[in-house]
Amino acid sequence: MKDITVQRAAKVKKEKNKVKRGQLSRRKAITGLIFVSPWIIGAILFLIYPLVTSFWYALNNIRITPIGKNFNFVGTGNFTQILLSDPEFIPHIVDYLVSTLISVPVINVFALMIAMMLNQRIKFKGPFRLIFFLPVIIVSGPVMGMLSAEGAVSVSALNAQAISGAISNFLPYYLAEPISDIFTNMIMILWYSGVQILIFLSGLQKIDKSMYEAAKIDGGSQWECFWKITLPNIKSLILLNCVYTVVYISGNESNAIIVLIQRAMFSGTKEKGYGYASAMAWVYSLVVVLIVLLFAGLIMGRKDVYERQAKKVRKQMKKDRRTARKIERRNARNARKFKKAEKKGKFTSYEDFE
Amino acid sequence: MAYRGSKIDPKKMGKDQVKILLLILPLVIFMALPIVYIINHAFKPMDELFAFPPTFFVRRPTLDNFTNLIKVSRNSGIPLSRYIFNSFVITLVTIGLSLVFTTLAAFSLSKLKYRGRNMLMQINQIAIMFVATAVSIPRYLIIAKLGLVDSYLAHILPLLSVPVALFLVKQFVDQVPQVLIEAAYIDGASDFHIYRKLIIPMIKPAIATAAILVFQQVWTNMETSNFYINDDSMKSLTFYMNSLTNANNTVAGQGIAAAATLIMFIPNLVLFILLQKNVMNTMAHSGIK
Repeated sequence: MKDITVQRAAKVKKEKNKVKRGQLSRRKAITGLIFVSPWIIGAILFLIYPLVTSFWYALNNIRITPIGKNFNFVGTGNFTQILLSDPEFIPHIVDYLVSTLISVPVINVFALMIAMMLNQRIKFKGPFRLIFFLPVIIVSGPVMGMLSAEGAVSVSALNAQAISGAISNFLPYYLAEPISDIFTNMIMILWYSGVQILIFLSGLQKIDKSMYEAAKIDGGSQWECFWKITLPNIKSLILLNCVYTVVYISGNESNAIIVLIQRAMFSGTKEKGYGYASAMAWVYSLVVVLIVLLFAGLIMGRKDVYERQAKKVRKQMKKDRRTARKIERRNARNARKFKKAEKKGKFTSYEDFE
Repeated sequence: MAYRGSKIDPKKMGKDQVKILLLILPLVIFMALPIVYIINHAFKPMDELFAFPPTFFVRRPTLDNFTNLIKVSRNSGIPLSRYIFNSFVITLVTIGLSLVFTTLAAFSLSKLKYRGRNMLMQINQIAIMFVATAVSIPRYLIIAKLGLVDSYLAHILPLLSVPVALFLVKQFVDQVPQVLIEAAYIDGASDFHIYRKLIIPMIKPAIATAAILVFQQVWTNMETSNFYINDDSMKSLTFYMNSLTNANNTVAGQGIAAAATLIMFIPNLVLFILLQKNVMNTMAHSGIK
């Protein structure tokens, strides 16, 4: 018994000399950084540096002259001008806010419905999927303008005067207009949903079928299965889709605010110009971030049973880890003590020490 | 449910399918409208293009629009094939590189632990939300400083990092079980090995989706041609098509625009048909639960 423990202690000592603690995690960190480095370089060059410079531009009044750029520091002047005296920006932002807040849920619910239908076992599923996805490509092209000019994007049934009349009667003007716009452009809104359908579908296919079986054996109805199994399982994808939709709507080149920014960017007037456009873009991005945060809060804020349980387990695990660390530390301390004592020659084996 | 391989359509037409088909068919028709319209529009003769009320289906299909398009492009000095070549090179290289970078970054950000990981992810999330138009001039300055104006790299580099794609792919890599990766480590696999042999096959559907997203962004992008390219022979097909539509905004221009639209549209169709099997079917059998 004594010999074995001595041997083991010796072995541990030997191994300790060869392999340093934390080598694996360091190796992982290095390869991780190597893997991510192309992305980091790209991000610094084409995302972070432009972002910082555009913020600097936003604080300046820039005039592009034949000699070069002419900077004139104005501080927050651009921002106050946008928010207080620009006749177009604020109404556009309000329009954009209302229409986004309405169309994002519409698009996502529609996409989820379609994805669930396409997830059933039906014939011609492949062609259907193709058809649902393809409009996305068209929406970004020049075709869209042509189509909407010829009235192909509005349904006459939804376009009925009655609806827009009723809306404008009951709501103030700045709300009524975007809402009736949504009704008239229903088809266009639905055309945006291709990518969302794809993402939802891949999420739906990942859900374990046996969960539904178990639920059915326990007497769960389809409706309950949807709320208790499907939705919690694809929650992160709903968030992803909402973010994607918001970003897609806001970054679209046909978006009124983008057009406004572009126009300001290339206008040679004294007060507008690139600095002004940058400031506008920053305000606009802030609004977009707020919308995304709002949706994220709505979706991720409500915790269901699974998440509460998961949180509990995570907490327990954290506690366990802490105890394990504590024990490890104590062992290390004891080992050190043992070594010291051994050096002094007080005893020859671990058991004596104990 | 039995393993059905890569066939997604059931063989038989059952009674239970009728209900869903009835629900979905009107929507399908609804969504198919623009596609049908584009195809029909390209083959319309002049009088039908301007008919009022506009007709949806073509009555007397002709190829006039396409011949006109070729004629116009011949007159402009630079052949159409040059633009097609440009666009193909740009798109292929961008998709390839950005998928490699995105998956590598997603694997690293999701499965390898190091300091600053969360910060990188947050930067990415901010980047998703920022308006791309606002950074176009700083980007131009960088491109000019690197001496890339009028080269293919000017097309490719700004589009390489697609934050949405990274976000999407990372969501999928997150779901690859840690146990599997640890098992591979124990068997002596290196990180790159794990990336290539384990992560890539498992997230194929996400890669296919990301490929479609990137393609769509690159293919329809006019910004790079607009801002970073002065030489006409280096511009992309999309830019050329768009300028045709704008420059020939006359009666004859309408037909040319319609034909151009169809030409722009076909690669999308082909790519999606090629990728869609991957998008949908690998997921169920890839071991991600």
